[in-house]
Amino acid sequence: MILTGSEISANVEQGRINISPFRSEQLNPNSYDLRLGKTLLVYTGEHLDSLQPNPYELVPIPEEGTVLQKGAFYLGASEEIVGSDYFVPMLHCKSGIARLGLFIHITSDLIDIGSHGNLTFQLHPTLNIRVYPGMRLGQVSFWKPLGDITLYEGKYQNSKGPIASKNYFS
Amino acid sequence: MILTGKEIEENIRKGTITVSPFNPESINPNSINYHLEDSYIELSTDETIDSRSPDLSYKRKKIPQEGLLLQPGRLYLCNTREVIGSKHFVTSLIGRSSIGRLGIFLQVSADLGHQDEIHQWTLEIKCVKPVVIYPFMTIGQVTFWLPQGNHYPKQGFYKHFDLPTTSKGVL
Repeated sequence: MILTGSEISANVEQGRINISPFRSEQLNPNSYDLRLGKTLLVYTGEHLDSLQPNPYELVPIPEEGTVLQKGAFYLGASEEIVGSDYFVPMLHCKSGIARLGLFIHITSDLIDIGSHGNLTFQLHPTLNIRVYPGMRLGQVSFWKPLGDITLYEGKYQNSKGPIASKNYFS
Repeated sequence: MILTGKEIEENIRKGTITVSPFNPESINPNSINYHLEDSYIELSTDETIDSRSPDLSYKRKKIPQEGLLLQPGRLYLCNTREVIGSKHFVTSLIGRSSIGRLGIFLQVSADLGHQDEIHQWTLEIKCVKPVVIYPFMTIGQVTFWLPQGNHYPKQGFYKHFDLPTTSKGVL
């Protein structure tokens, strides 16, 4: 079952959902809007290796915005810290962003229960698009789990800003 | 409702969810990881595909031990190493966050599996930057969801195909 906006709000107040900062105007009927943080991560190698660390650089997004180039790949992060030990968060693009052709995740919408931190956005534009720090880019929904809960203790816990793939640990 | 990792594991042990071979280390808080096998089909991007009767020329190849460099703008069909499915729960297939952070799509907006279908799943792999993948690597995860309502059996294509299987077309 998916939580309604009012249920998300009540669970934030009760400390069962962690959204920080929390602004009630970012609530939707079944989700909460997430804003883009101020930093992009860009891989710098010619190709990526799925079992090796990949070199990258961090690039600030100025107030006047940054143009993301179509076909390219960037990691961004949510301005908010998001997490819950009681519900399963899932990440979605905002429809207004999707209609501009910008993917914000790449077949990885699921967030582990018990994981807390800034969410990393996997940004893949299909058109050239200017993005701005603090803009609403994504939304997170919360789902009720069935069964005993084991909380996440993985390698992305307490993420701050965009975090490159750590697949080489697995 | 989405099943927790413990609930997935209990259902695998009871036989109400199939993930085979099963390794308890593949369990996550709300999902279970699957691995890539070593077959792939690379679809040409030069020819126009007729969606009613795709006549796709392809060869099924093996991903070498030293890895396969995927290129953007191409579509690769691979398959899960595991046989996955359930008659009791609905399977949804996604990648892993570590793989999404490398820009690798595991499916093309087709995450929903049919209840009852238990097989090795075809993966529709597309990358946004050139990237090397390896046979049998951990590459994605599946979630399981409790359905509501009477069971509705589905007959259709793809049911018992384990190797990467191309589209049969849609009318």
